[in-house]
Amino acid sequence: MKRLDIMKRAGRNLAQAKGRTFLTSLAIAVGAFTVTASLAAGEGARQYADQIIKSNVDPQSVYVTKESMRQNAAQSNGLKEYSENQSQYGGMSIEMLSSDDIASLKAVEGVDTVLPTYLIDAQYIQFQGIDTKYTSDITTYDSTVLAATAAGDMPPLGEQLAANEAVVPESYAETLGVSAQDLIGKTLTLHLVKTGKTPSETEIQAAFMAGGTEAVQALYLSESKDVTLTIRAVSAQSSTSFSASSAVFISDTKAEELANYLTEGTSSYQQYVSATVMVEDGVDIEDVKSTIKDSGLAALTAKDISGMIFTMVNVLQGIVFGFGVLALIASVFGIINTQYISVLERTSQIGLMKALGMPRRDVAKLFRYEAAWIGFIGGAIGAGVAYVAGTAMNPWITDTLTLGDGNYLLIFVWWQVALMIVGLMVVAIVAGWLPSRKAARLDPIEALRTE
Amino acid sequence: MIELRNVSKTYGKKKNEFRALDDVSLTIPDGASVAVVGKSGSGKSTLMHAASGLDRPEAGEIVIDGEDILQFKPRAVDRFRSETMSFIFQSFFVQGNETCYNNVSLPLEIAGVPLRERRAKIVKALKAVGLEEKLKSRARDLSGGQKQRLAIARAIVNDPKILFADEPTGNLDSVTGEAIETLLFEYNKKHKTTLIIVTHDPDLAKKCDMQVHISDGKIQKKTGAKS
Repeated sequence: MKRLDIMKRAGRNLAQAKGRTFLTSLAIAVGAFTVTASLAAGEGARQYADQIIKSNVDPQSVYVTKESMRQNAAQSNGLKEYSENQSQYGGMSIEMLSSDDIASLKAVEGVDTVLPTYLIDAQYIQFQGIDTKYTSDITTYDSTVLAATAAGDMPPLGEQLAANEAVVPESYAETLGVSAQDLIGKTLTLHLVKTGKTPSETEIQAAFMAGGTEAVQALYLSESKDVTLTIRAVSAQSSTSFSASSAVFISDTKAEELANYLTEGTSSYQQYVSATVMVEDGVDIEDVKSTIKDSGLAALTAKDISGMIFTMVNVLQGIVFGFGVLALIASVFGIINTQYISVLERTSQIGLMKALGMPRRDVAKLFRYEAAWIGFIGGAIGAGVAYVAGTAMNPWITDTLTLGDGNYLLIFVWWQVALMIVGLMVVAIVAGWLPSRKAARLDPIEALRTE
Repeated sequence: MIELRNVSKTYGKKKNEFRALDDVSLTIPDGASVAVVGKSGSGKSTLMHAASGLDRPEAGEIVIDGEDILQFKPRAVDRFRSETMSFIFQSFFVQGNETCYNNVSLPLEIAGVPLRERRAKIVKALKAVGLEEKLKSRARDLSGGQKQRLAIARAIVNDPKILFADEPTGNLDSVTGEAIETLLFEYNKKHKTTLIIVTHDPDLAKKCDMQVHISDGKIQKKTGAKS
């Protein structure tokens, strides 16, 4: 008997027992729904994470620190040996990168540029024509990632701001109560305060010799400096780009100048929490990363970060997926039961088919295909409901979790759904194995005696 | 030609042993109509099952057209049955949920007849039994007589050489039964198909060319022109 003929007969047999078929399929549909939803959520979460990383980190960049964060965290419970170039950052004691480290990074083959992280602590900032003083973080403009623009024009990708230019986020304009466009061309003043240095003994002696006690006191006094910049552009609020949302951006040269000014004479002069290494195009970032690691520094690429996030997403997805699989296992018994009843009900039909010369194998196939149909219908219902419900709920989820426009948590990948349905058909066939074997083994003479 | 040579079939084991067929030998020429007559439990159904290869007697030979079908592998017996034989049963065994068309299509599907050749054969078979109007009706909506006609259409659709009928009129009233009998005998004469009817109805048996009386698994008497 031809496969297609068996399939058609199997389909028609199921169509005759609509209620039973539907209910059995529904049990599978519950599992299929859960599995589809978990696949969609996993895919959505991965794409979202990927987008966040892409809009914040250049894939050709390596984030370098003196020691790895993990190492640091592991030691945070015990005592930590004192180190000359150690600093407090983010509540953690971190060993800093020295200028020697930066120089050695620059020497690594394939490295294009090395951009140390300059920590610039402004006491306050002031906008032209506005008296109120504000506090703000000040960060180096990242030329490798193009931020969304609300007003003005950003430098093209890969180009830095000029030394006297600044970019501010849209939220600042909101706080100030002016439109983003109004800020363009206005000046911005950064008030920097340099804390007193820790003068060496010779410096103290020299100052004393020169100007007596007053001169020595002056050595300890803090000094301040106002830096005036012109606002070139206002970056738009983005739900995926974090860097663009809450800091004043200045050029790397200006940042270096200011950082050096602030730290000159202190122990953190030309010491950096971290550095971003840009790898030349065409050079394998992994090679550079391993070279950096070999030199005793910690290095992290965009891929590492996404890998870490993906691991978390995968674990969560796995849990939901597991529940779906449990539901599917339960539904397998439903299929077995339904098919057994079906075999009993159609004893004479099976007998007739065998009398007409239908081989055992084909009889078994008929029942297995019926099971496969049930699996297909269940999978299609589950996936269909998940798709419709997911698509309908996506805007709401995006809104509630503030994922940002255009980002959806549930992303359905057609081949994953197709694969799942095929998988369910296989599972259903396996479930239908015992009943189909029973049908195949029926003695046609006995079966035809039944009435 | 169908030849049964010293066929024996036993059911049950040891104490409960029951000889359904006891050293039965029988020759049925091509194109004959044969009635196998006997009371219930006499072994007449077993004879039919053995002759059609549905059952496997433990002794003897069943030679159809020169080949002993007991030597065939199960798969070959199945194919042989689907290509050369057909059945009609007392309780019809039509699939109520299928249309007449699909009921008749079943033997063709089993025999692997290509789709494009099926339709003509099915329509022809349904026409032969006067059910061409019911092509798309469900079998369950037919009357008893119509169901048996449908069963006959299903039996003749693949032009079998041998047609087995197990009490074909047992579930029908006399008028309908007679119509079915006429249909069977007409077909038997027209197509030279060997017709083997298992029955306990002496009137039906009389209409056959040959009667085989069976009781306690043994052939008691054979009557008829060609025996």
